[in-house]
Amino acid sequence: MTAALVVTVLVSGGVYLILQRELLRVVLGFILLGHGVNVVIISAGGMANREPALLGQQDRAAMADPLPQAFVLTAIVIAFAITVYLLSLLKAGDADDDGRRAEPDGSGDGDGGPDTAGDTGTADGSAGANGGDR
Amino acid sequence: MISLIVLGGAAALALLGPLLARFMGRNAGYPIAAGLAALAVLANTSAGRIVDGDVLTASYAWMPSLGISFGLRMDGLSLLFVTIVLGVGALVLAYCPSYLDDHYPVATVYGLLTGFAAAMIGLVTANDLVLLYVFWELTTVLSFLLINTAGPKAAAPAGRALIVTAMGGFALLGAVVMIGVAAGTTDLGVITADPALVLSSPLAVPAAALLILAAATKSAQLPFTFWLPGAMVAMTPISAYLHAATMVKAGIYLLMRFSPVYVPTTAWSTVLVPLGLLTAVVGAVLALREHDLKAILAHSTVSQLGLITAAIGVGTSYALSAAVLHTFAHALFKATLFMLVGIIDKEAGSRDVRELGGLRQVMPVTATLTGIAALSMAGIPPLIGFVSKETLFEGFLEADFAPGAGPVAATAAVIASVLTFAYSARIVYGAFFGTLSQPDLYEPRYAFLAPAAVAALLGVLLGPLVSVLNPLTDRATTDLDPGAEPVTFELWPGITPALFLSLVTVAAGYALFHWRDRVDALLGRLWVPDGAAVFDRIRARVLDLGALVGRPDTDPAPAAVLVRPVLLLPVLAVAAGVLLPAVPAYPGPVVRGLDWVVLGLVLAVVLGAALTRSPVAALATTGFAGLTTALWLLLAGAPDVALTLLLVEILTTVVAVLVLRGRGVRLHRPTRWRRIPAAVTALAAGLSLGAGTLALTGRREPSAVGNYLLDTAEPAVGGTNVVNTILVDFRGMDTFGEAVVVGAAALGLLVLIRRTEAGADARPRVARDGPADTVVMRVGSLVLAPLMGALSLFLLWRGHDEPGGGFIASLVAGVAVLFLRLAHRGDSWPLRLRPEPLVGAGLLLSLLTGLAVMPLGLPFLTPVYLPGEVLLSSFVFDLGIFSMVVGLMVAAVDRLGGGTRAGSSLGPVHHRDVREDQADRHGARPEVGR
Repeated sequence: MTAALVVTVLVSGGVYLILQRELLRVVLGFILLGHGVNVVIISAGGMANREPALLGQQDRAAMADPLPQAFVLTAIVIAFAITVYLLSLLKAGDADDDGRRAEPDGSGDGDGGPDTAGDTGTADGSAGANGGDR
Repeated sequence: MISLIVLGGAAALALLGPLLARFMGRNAGYPIAAGLAALAVLANTSAGRIVDGDVLTASYAWMPSLGISFGLRMDGLSLLFVTIVLGVGALVLAYCPSYLDDHYPVATVYGLLTGFAAAMIGLVTANDLVLLYVFWELTTVLSFLLINTAGPKAAAPAGRALIVTAMGGFALLGAVVMIGVAAGTTDLGVITADPALVLSSPLAVPAAALLILAAATKSAQLPFTFWLPGAMVAMTPISAYLHAATMVKAGIYLLMRFSPVYVPTTAWSTVLVPLGLLTAVVGAVLALREHDLKAILAHSTVSQLGLITAAIGVGTSYALSAAVLHTFAHALFKATLFMLVGIIDKEAGSRDVRELGGLRQVMPVTATLTGIAALSMAGIPPLIGFVSKETLFEGFLEADFAPGAGPVAATAAVIASVLTFAYSARIVYGAFFGTLSQPDLYEPRYAFLAPAAVAALLGVLLGPLVSVLNPLTDRATTDLDPGAEPVTFELWPGITPALFLSLVTVAAGYALFHWRDRVDALLGRLWVPDGAAVFDRIRARVLDLGALVGRPDTDPAPAAVLVRPVLLLPVLAVAAGVLLPAVPAYPGPVVRGLDWVVLGLVLAVVLGAALTRSPVAALATTGFAGLTTALWLLLAGAPDVALTLLLVEILTTVVAVLVLRGRGVRLHRPTRWRRIPAAVTALAAGLSLGAGTLALTGRREPSAVGNYLLDTAEPAVGGTNVVNTILVDFRGMDTFGEAVVVGAAALGLLVLIRRTEAGADARPRVARDGPADTVVMRVGSLVLAPLMGALSLFLLWRGHDEPGGGFIASLVAGVAVLFLRLAHRGDSWPLRLRPEPLVGAGLLLSLLTGLAVMPLGLPFLTPVYLPGEVLLSSFVFDLGIFSMVVGLMVAAVDRLGGGTRAGSSLGPVHHRDVREDQADRHGARPEVGR
């Protein structure tokens, strides 16, 4: 019950964020989604037995299932690696936003770098014009 | 064996050809021609045995596990085709030196032409379906390349030829697979020896359909005729060889090869005969409309191939032997005509019968040779074309797959032949009769004429002496149909129905020729669809369709792509709600009081993360979400996981702060148009997954595998921390895969962000931040960083028995690295750590540890113990993983740690929705911080 509610909250927050425009929010949304899914996996091991799987220190009968825990541990590290990579994409994409690349490569579609730079300019310009109108 | 020698010889010539061309220029054609002729003679040394019924096979292991061999065969049919390929090849290559100018890519042309001969020989001698397919595709590709040697104007027709014939290649592949599955073997000899193998399978009919499709594309049958006239942009020797005499016969060969299997079926005839005869008539009509000599010949080839296809479809002894003989006769007269048209083109500078005229006065030898070949094509005695056409008529009269099929088929064949007579006459008359428009021309040198002359004279001689061919054609016919009666070819078989049809053909053909002006006017009004244009339109539509299908995935906005799998969640939830039976009860109480507290914390921080407009707050709340999740994991009895998550959250947050540092920007407030649908989608997805968790997880006793691990961990590997033993011992391969992901992320990051960007930014930062505010951290780092390093090594060492291990140790080390980086902002690094060697060495270390035991015959990652029960391999393996994770951290610090340029926005990731963008900027204008 509580596990399901935790999942609902984390996944709702994560999905809301990945549907936003800013890449930072998308990255954070992925992190929340990852948490939500990890809670699902732990829950798949059962929430009735909750003692750590440390042999000799705990009651064997009350120990939680260790396999989902191992999966989640692996998942956390992989999610971390991917988050760092996404953050580096954020940073690399940032360079494009400023039109820092010396020359538009002409293709336009594909990476959207030069396009984005141009659009930013347009948006700024028209925003200014509209602001003047009001 | 003989087939291997011939194939190898042709392949050797193909390699030698370009070399010879380098030394001898275009004259290299002569020795290559001699070589091909010698191979043809060599192949025919075995003719005696083959005619006696021997099938010479040779087989070499190729893909033994699939039962596919490099098997070659030489039977009557193969020998006939090998003779055509090598004979015409020799003539064409002897013709090339006179035809080619120095501006042609001579070495390329010779290499490709001879290579094509080798591929063709492979195709007609392959004894394995897969091998046959490989050579089939080789001829397609070589044809494409050869057409393309004509320069830029050839690009479009060459592309059409390639796409059409490659499509046929796919069909052939499908047929090969089906027949292989149906018969249980890909050995052609076995398959053709026992038709029941294939015919008893339900795959027999689709396989036949695909075979016919393949043959129709290669041999330019309707509706694929258009590529062949287009291919005539190639230079004339190539047209003569590939697109008249040999490659287009590959489809014919395929049909003939599978005749023993399919001839007994009515469906085979019912498809092939109408297809072939329709192609024959349409091709002949189109040929008669043309004024370009080469175009006439191209359409004529289509028409003649149609006749052969139809004859194969009829399937009687007469029809099959007629198909075999006509294949030979057509190669002979069509190659001759192409070579002569090339000569006319070269000498007179035109191939248009409306511009040419009276050339017989200045080029009598050329005129005579052309006349001979054209008479053979028109089916006039005593030439070989007459014999083969008579036999064809005889064969069509025998058609019995449907009531009345014989007379109808023969009538269609006569119509095609009447038209053939008419366009043959047009070729000869148009070029050589009438008023002489270019009196200053003269006969070409004999070397230019000789190859055409040889072929033309063979056509004359083999008319009366057609019985010379009889043993081989009889043998080949038996290969097409083991029960075939021998058919004796005669120039004068007496008064037969076929003779009567021949007389009708000549009379009607002459009438068409006589009233040619009216015929031209009539044909000129005929509307003919332009196959190439239709093909181009279809191709364009297919490309459009591809773009349409791919468009949603090329959207620059991530939300457009990300929303799709998310939307699947509610769909799955609803489906599960409808379909699933009642769920079982929990085995015990699953809710603890503290759960609600953690849930409240999670709710608070997630709401904060979703709603805040400050990047730092967003990061912080997301980090808190991680911490509360770690709390949850602790409550769930997973302290190791909680510890890992805690460390990871710290590292993630610090790396994110490094990325965002120096930006005084805020996140945009989403417009209502984004906010509301996103919130609805998010709630739907969250509730779906929550409902799934509620209904589908934890409603059972502890799992069998969980119990197994709890029971065996200590006795099997001596660890008490079961989760750790799973990571290191039970599922080491998983862990290795995980570490590889980490290494790949590090390498991706290193490639993505070049060092110079980060390095260039580092220096000005000193001035801006000033070192003063970091004094405490610097001093602290002097104490703490070494301690953290030591702690991490300790955790690494004891990982197997106690909480710790490679991951946790490396995360602690990562924290130390980050700490140092923050303390020494702007300064040079106190540590000389480079990410690339760390990642590379870690990957190699882990991999080699796993592989090291394999030479001993042990599986990957088998543990190795040092004396005293010290686990060596798992420690070294962990060390590799440690190194990879630290490499990722160093890479992040090294590349992301550099500042960003002032004033850069957080970058809305797409800008297509300008209205939204403007609205955002109105709302957020003072905060954009430019």
